Amino acid sequence: MFDWIKNINKEYPEIWKNYISKFEKRSNRFVVLSTETSGLNPNKDVILSFGAIAVQDNSILIGDSFEVMLLQYVYLHDNGLSNEFIIESKQPKLGEREAIQAFLEYIGNAILVGHRIHFDVDLINVALEKLDCGKLKNEALDIEIMHKKLKDISSEKPISIDELCEIYKVPKSERLSSSEDAYTIALLFLKLKSKLGL
Amino acid sequence: MNAIAERIADFLKQYQPFNILSFEELKSVALSIRVINLEKNKTLFQINDILHDSFYVVASGVINLSVISDAEETLLNKCIEGDVFGLRPFFAKNNYMMTAKAREESIVYAIPIAAFRPFVAQNSEVLNFLLESFANNTANPNDIENKGKFLSDNVVFSSKPSEIQYFQTLSYNKTPLKIDKLTAVSQVAQLMTDNLLDNVIITQQNLPIGIVTDTDMRSKIATGRYSITTTVDKIMSSPVITVNENVSLAEAQLLLLKYNVSHLCVTSDGSDKSEVKGVISEHDLVVAQASNPGILIKETKRSNDANDLKKVRFKLSELIKTSIAKNIPLLHITNIASEINFAIFKRAVELAVLELGSPPARFAWLSIGSQGRKEQLLVTDQDNILVFEDVATEKYRDVKDYFIKLAKKTVETLAKTGYIPCTNGHIASNLQWCKSLTDWAKQYNNWMDTPGEKSNEISGAFFDYEIAFGESKIEDALTDIIFNKSKKHTLFFDYLGNDALRKPAPLSFFKKFNVEEEGINKDKFDIKTRGLMPLIDGARLFAISQNIKGINNTYLRFKQLAIVDSKHSEIFLNCADAFLTLSKFRTLEGLKNDSSGQYINLSELSKVDKEILKNALAPMKELEDLIKDTFQLTQFS
Repeated sequence: MFDWIKNINKEYPEIWKNYISKFEKRSNRFVVLSTETSGLNPNKDVILSFGAIAVQDNSILIGDSFEVMLLQYVYLHDNGLSNEFIIESKQPKLGEREAIQAFLEYIGNAILVGHRIHFDVDLINVALEKLDCGKLKNEALDIEIMHKKLKDISSEKPISIDELCEIYKVPKSERLSSSEDAYTIALLFLKLKSKLGL
Repeated sequence: MNAIAERIADFLKQYQPFNILSFEELKSVALSIRVINLEKNKTLFQINDILHDSFYVVASGVINLSVISDAEETLLNKCIEGDVFGLRPFFAKNNYMMTAKAREESIVYAIPIAAFRPFVAQNSEVLNFLLESFANNTANPNDIENKGKFLSDNVVFSSKPSEIQYFQTLSYNKTPLKIDKLTAVSQVAQLMTDNLLDNVIITQQNLPIGIVTDTDMRSKIATGRYSITTTVDKIMSSPVITVNENVSLAEAQLLLLKYNVSHLCVTSDGSDKSEVKGVISEHDLVVAQASNPGILIKETKRSNDANDLKKVRFKLSELIKTSIAKNIPLLHITNIASEINFAIFKRAVELAVLELGSPPARFAWLSIGSQGRKEQLLVTDQDNILVFEDVATEKYRDVKDYFIKLAKKTVETLAKTGYIPCTNGHIASNLQWCKSLTDWAKQYNNWMDTPGEKSNEISGAFFDYEIAFGESKIEDALTDIIFNKSKKHTLFFDYLGNDALRKPAPLSFFKKFNVEEEGINKDKFDIKTRGLMPLIDGARLFAISQNIKGINNTYLRFKQLAIVDSKHSEIFLNCADAFLTLSKFRTLEGLKNDSSGQYINLSELSKVDKEILKNALAPMKELEDLIKDTFQLTQFS
């Protein structure tokens, strides 16, 4: 609760100051985010890849995308897991520190969009803490909540991306990478956005 | 490196012209793409929109391309997955000439022109493909070859020709000059001069082999190329273009253009192997066109008194009758008839102005009611109002005096012409309906603020007006007053809504016609009150509430409403059709009995016609339900 007092005199890294300074203006850019993680516990698990794509003026900007695999050697080694799939993948690879920095740079002050986005944000915040940075300041929208709002669903029952794709007739991605996931979520987001009149 | 760009490149390479590009090139194109989601019925761009900086590829769903003409939406093409559209920005600078609208929920890729242009420049195959499809007119039904491949953006949409003239037959010279091919040119020229003709047919055993016209005389004789003693076969144009006897105006026009000639030879079977029956000249075509509505308007403009106007009015009735007999669409006939009616009104006012001297202020003579809606065909009465611009108080009396006089003269002229003054007294010579713009503004405000209170006078007719003579700015000012006012006045809509619903039902519970129970029209069906009025009132109500200005015609109002309010377009389209059907019944009845056609004698209708009539009365119910849903009617019911 008194975290902010602890942090009041803390000197943040340059990258973080730069990130914070972008929030002086409100953004009309959305960044649709999807991550792959090693599990569901923010304190133990780590991010394995980022896939993100921007939405602006009700259109998805294919050129404005972000894709990176994280080289989590320590985690994989500690848990006795193979890192072959990372080595073999064609996607750009970075260590966690560089990846998080690049990600901050990419999102800027955009509004984050995702499926159960709070979970992604939690994981990113843990990673940020390791870099002596604060917590993400971006607003976040969750397509699952948007869907429930649109259909007036009050039950807690989770709704998967595949189910949403079925409802809104979006072709299901083969889930090959988090960036393709992000694209699928972006399509769902556009549809939900116009249906909700946002 | 960008998995999504690769996915899109994969998609594109299945379709022309992208299949011409390499995968790497496609990937770089894909990187610049914007992906757009379109909800059902969402418009991507429409006619006259400024060009976008991209063209589009359908990724999923269906996009309709259409043009709007005369308030009617005409579908040009449907674009499905892989189709490319919106190419105009590549080749032209002016605004879009068609509307692109999602027929169902769709996703389209917007490819920036700037990103694609390099590939067009480098690759002639791509360029040719784009050019070809841009130049193609997809309205052309022969264009099946290109269908689904590439959709043109170059619309050549001519406005509808006035179809009436195509049904006209031609009158032409049925006793043409015929001479033998060995006649001397000087003799031929003398013959033509004696007969005041500009052409002569050269025959051999009464079969046409050639024609000589003034042009031949000029270019071949007067220039000295042939002497005047030559035989005529040396200078004749041969072969002659022949047609059969009952050629229509349109056909004749086409042939003249096609062969670039000035005369057609009429033969008994239409070939040059049969007997010559006559000659059609360009002049005949001009004359034929002159006996169409256009000439009536010209005659109106030249009329000097009520008598002249009456003649035009009589010819108009004849024109209406023959047009209906020839099954020309009712909409066209009404359009033409109202044009001529308005020309007559205009001339009547002009004549009054000529007599009284120039008016002391600017003014507008407005036709209201069915004439304002341009829906009258039959014996019509006159409903009109006069609005003059505001003048200084001390002048007001004189100015008003002048206009009352003007109105009296005009109304009198029109009455003599055959337009009986409105039985409700809605005529401009009535002190109440001839006043300044401010007074009219007050009048309309009154009606709209406290509808139904003290003014039993309020009549929907006053909201359907069309300028016949004078300053159109005054009409615009009136329109602004009404539409600005109506925005906040639910009360007014409630009143109009109630008014529309108050009309007696056309059919009984058992789907029998509700006929008149007494009076001279006993057992007849009142098509005006029970059929047409509810539709007219409904159309007006929705048109004003939807802010549709400048369209007064009930049919066109419904058509426009169907475009504006796509959710209920089906109801509106049904009403539009029903309105035409009912109008036709009324017109036919009126022509049969030389009456206004208000009361239909059901016993004279065939069983089929009765069913058609009943069906045309059905959409009214839906319209009434829609009125009840849209407006709160409790205030006045």
